[in-house]
Amino acid sequence: MSARAATLLKPLIWIVVLTLLCLFAALRLNLRQPVDTNLLDLLPAAQQSPLLDAATERTQGAFLRELLLVVSAADYSQARRGAKAAQTALAAAGLPLADPARSVQALIGLYRRHRYAFLTTADRQQLNKNPVSAFTNDVAGEFANPAGMVGVFGTDPGGYLGRFLMGLPQPYANFTPDGAFLSAQRNGKNYFLLRAALPEAALGERGAAQAAGAVAAARAAVQRSCPNCTLLATGAALFSAAAQNEARQEVFWLTAVSMLFIVLLILLVFRSLRPLILGVLSVGAGVLAGAAAVVIGFGSVHILTLVCGTTLLGIAIDYAFLYFAEHWFGGGLAQHTLKSVLPGLTMGLITGVIAFAFLLLAGFPALTQIAVFSVAGLVMSYATVVLLFPLALRRRPAVRFATLLQFPQRLLVLACRRTRWRYLVPLILLMLSIPGWLRLHTSDAVRELQNFPKPLLNADQDVRTLLGQTPPPGFFLIEGANIQQALQREETLFQITAAAFPGAVALGLSRFLPSESRQQVNLDTWATVYRDPAALQRAFAHIGLPPEYVNTLEAGWKHNPHTPLTSQALLAAEPDLGQFVVRAGNHLALIATLMASLSTVPQLQNAAAQVPGVSFVAPLQRLTDTFRQIRWRATWLVVAGYVLISLLLIWRYGRRDTLRMLYPPLLSLAVTLGALGWLQVPVNIFVIVGLILVLGVGRDYTVFLREGARSPATALGVTLAALATLCSFGMLAFSAIPVLHAFGLATLIGILASYLSAPLSIAPHTREAA
Amino acid sequence: MSRMQPTAACVYAAILLLAAAFPAAAATGAAATLPKAPESFRARFIETRTLPGFDQPLVSRGNVTFSRTRGVIWEVTAPYHYVFRMGPADAEEQMPDGSVRHLDAEHAPWLAVVRHIFTSALTGNISELRRYFHVQVTVLRVGRRIELTPKPGPMAKAINHISVTEAGTPRSLRMDEASGGRIVIRFLDAKAAAETP
Repeated sequence: MSARAATLLKPLIWIVVLTLLCLFAALRLNLRQPVDTNLLDLLPAAQQSPLLDAATERTQGAFLRELLLVVSAADYSQARRGAKAAQTALAAAGLPLADPARSVQALIGLYRRHRYAFLTTADRQQLNKNPVSAFTNDVAGEFANPAGMVGVFGTDPGGYLGRFLMGLPQPYANFTPDGAFLSAQRNGKNYFLLRAALPEAALGERGAAQAAGAVAAARAAVQRSCPNCTLLATGAALFSAAAQNEARQEVFWLTAVSMLFIVLLILLVFRSLRPLILGVLSVGAGVLAGAAAVVIGFGSVHILTLVCGTTLLGIAIDYAFLYFAEHWFGGGLAQHTLKSVLPGLTMGLITGVIAFAFLLLAGFPALTQIAVFSVAGLVMSYATVVLLFPLALRRRPAVRFATLLQFPQRLLVLACRRTRWRYLVPLILLMLSIPGWLRLHTSDAVRELQNFPKPLLNADQDVRTLLGQTPPPGFFLIEGANIQQALQREETLFQITAAAFPGAVALGLSRFLPSESRQQVNLDTWATVYRDPAALQRAFAHIGLPPEYVNTLEAGWKHNPHTPLTSQALLAAEPDLGQFVVRAGNHLALIATLMASLSTVPQLQNAAAQVPGVSFVAPLQRLTDTFRQIRWRATWLVVAGYVLISLLLIWRYGRRDTLRMLYPPLLSLAVTLGALGWLQVPVNIFVIVGLILVLGVGRDYTVFLREGARSPATALGVTLAALATLCSFGMLAFSAIPVLHAFGLATLIGILASYLSAPLSIAPHTREAA
Repeated sequence: MSRMQPTAACVYAAILLLAAAFPAAAATGAAATLPKAPESFRARFIETRTLPGFDQPLVSRGNVTFSRTRGVIWEVTAPYHYVFRMGPADAEEQMPDGSVRHLDAEHAPWLAVVRHIFTSALTGNISELRRYFHVQVTVLRVGRRIELTPKPGPMAKAINHISVTEAGTPRSLRMDEASGGRIVIRFLDAKAAAETP
């Protein structure tokens, strides 16, 4: 092969590999969901079931779509006017209010047709105990009650169906129906509750923007029509809109500042745009290859992988800067740049790949994706440097190695002097870190990863207080071979929860549709009541009720079909009740909740465990647990990876030098953890990812310095890489979003410590000799 | 499910709305008889309930005691004994067999509506009554007649019309239900009383 052909072969290989990766990825890409934003997909597949998936998606969707607005004023009419204005504004923004009267006639008609199938537990017990006298007593009481109506006698003698309906769970206990709204009076103020739901298709960013726009329009409309009115609004979509808005603003200015800084740095040092273009090419190819590899493996890229995978940039840029520094200012021939840096680059790549490859063993989709992304990305960035840079950078540019640029080398020489400070400074830092370690605390709660505006949080709290709602920590999933079995299991569950949590409100389909077996028991109860009409007439006459009423009542009983209400009929009359039912293939389950302020997840899990086929699902708790497990596994796997890397370094550099090379990154890690403890920053999965970056970068610095210890260009390359990483990731420390702030702070402290401690990897006499 | 689903919530509210309409509307009849009522009063009453499809009406007698601050006691003495008590926070009824059925506002949301209409009627708060009814007041030779027609909505589906006459204390009430049923109450010996329930 000619030299020219060999020269052309390298970029060809690079292009072919990247193109093939992208092509395969395009074929495998899930076009409906290229970027997976569902945090629940982080859960290991073995822990998921199709029914659980469907139930979680259903409840999550309902939660995300709900919007609650409360308009209040001291004067009732003004408050109502304000509520009407808000209603009109919401409708104009594409969010019509839920109409409480919708389909209720059909539903009530259905209940009336099957009225004998519905009894409250108390009524059933009373009627079973003494059928004739209990019924007579109830009819007499109904006639005497000043709140009873005569018309009800024909459709619901004794008021049994009315009591069943009134015993149904209330959505907003403190509010009562008031025309198109729900209203309440409290502390001399009138409150109107408006409930809207985002359309199914409007979840995500679009829905959040629509919700925020609709609420802003409603707020303006209320202010116009009723200046004395106050509007409170809450809903997951509003929180989502606030988070997206904040993230967008932060990403813009953080990216702008860091990019500007890196461009200026490159121009100042190299007086050329070529390093900038090649640097972007190297890192860009790495990210593209990483994303493509993940898509090939998984069909889509999880948002967490994208966020954490970008830490790859911090490591990949090291390769480029090492090459540039050697090429521009190295002591050897320009044609030999690659030869000079290749050992350092290769060792950096191998150790980096080993560290990330260990995450493949984690068993969590998120960590597996991060590992695949990082390994593929690192290899591609390395390949870009090795295959393309020598072709793009042939001649050494005539740029003076200014005194300022030699500062890193001087710092290195200074740090490598054999003085007691080389031991004292790290020792002092370690001593200072120890109290910080003791103050370290972990946090895996998903809620703590987010930062929301205070007014929004206050409004949410106020609305929840007004509604008297405490959001339950999760839901019951009641599986059954068919809907009747599931309904029976739910009834058993509610009996257990009623005893365990007095005052709690159980919410599930069986409250609206008792199982057919229970309905049959109710029908049998009525059959007992009407078994002896003569006895009933005597009882009526005895108490003072006209005995002929019994004839009409008996006729009503005889003409009734005496059949239980079926789930098909109920769900056809009110499809919204179908929200309680989830299906996956041939499997079926019901979703139920318990509104009990004092219940805890273990208590609810315990209640669920008492009924076959029932489980309690706490999505947030599951995510928190998963984050905790991911954090633990990632930590241990990185430790295991480090042990393997140590063996590799021992093979390459010997035991003594290896210990010296591992010492700075571990010192940086110790100092970073100490600083985080002092600053009271909780350690979460994102901090761990930051620490993995710190370890990777710190290891690169020591390997580079060890391999190129005699070159001042190496010191410059390491310095530039550290500066670039600091201003790209370290900038995140200034973010107001807790998760980015914690990650940025860990990276900022860690990279700084890694850079400053890197000279410790070189034996002092070596530098002096140099 | 982190909280009640909005779609399902509509259904509960709707059912409660209709369920609540019966007692709320009916109680309005008892309450609206007393516009600008005294602080407290006591009266006897004769109530005639005519059921659609029945020739024989049901007649009951009893006493009603009202206190603006403490609520109302509605006691039927014939043909059987029954007591309905509604206080500021809750209500209970003593059934003919002596058993007591307790109703608290938390589990009977209509109670709040009943109490609201009741208080509005007794304090002569016509604007509050207009939330639920078209109100027409006719001045009679002695006292007034108040005509209440429910505004369109669930209440209008249950009640056609309520007519109340009063002369300082309530004199009579007539409620025509949409079902064709009718309740007529005559108040006798009504007088302001220092004694309250």
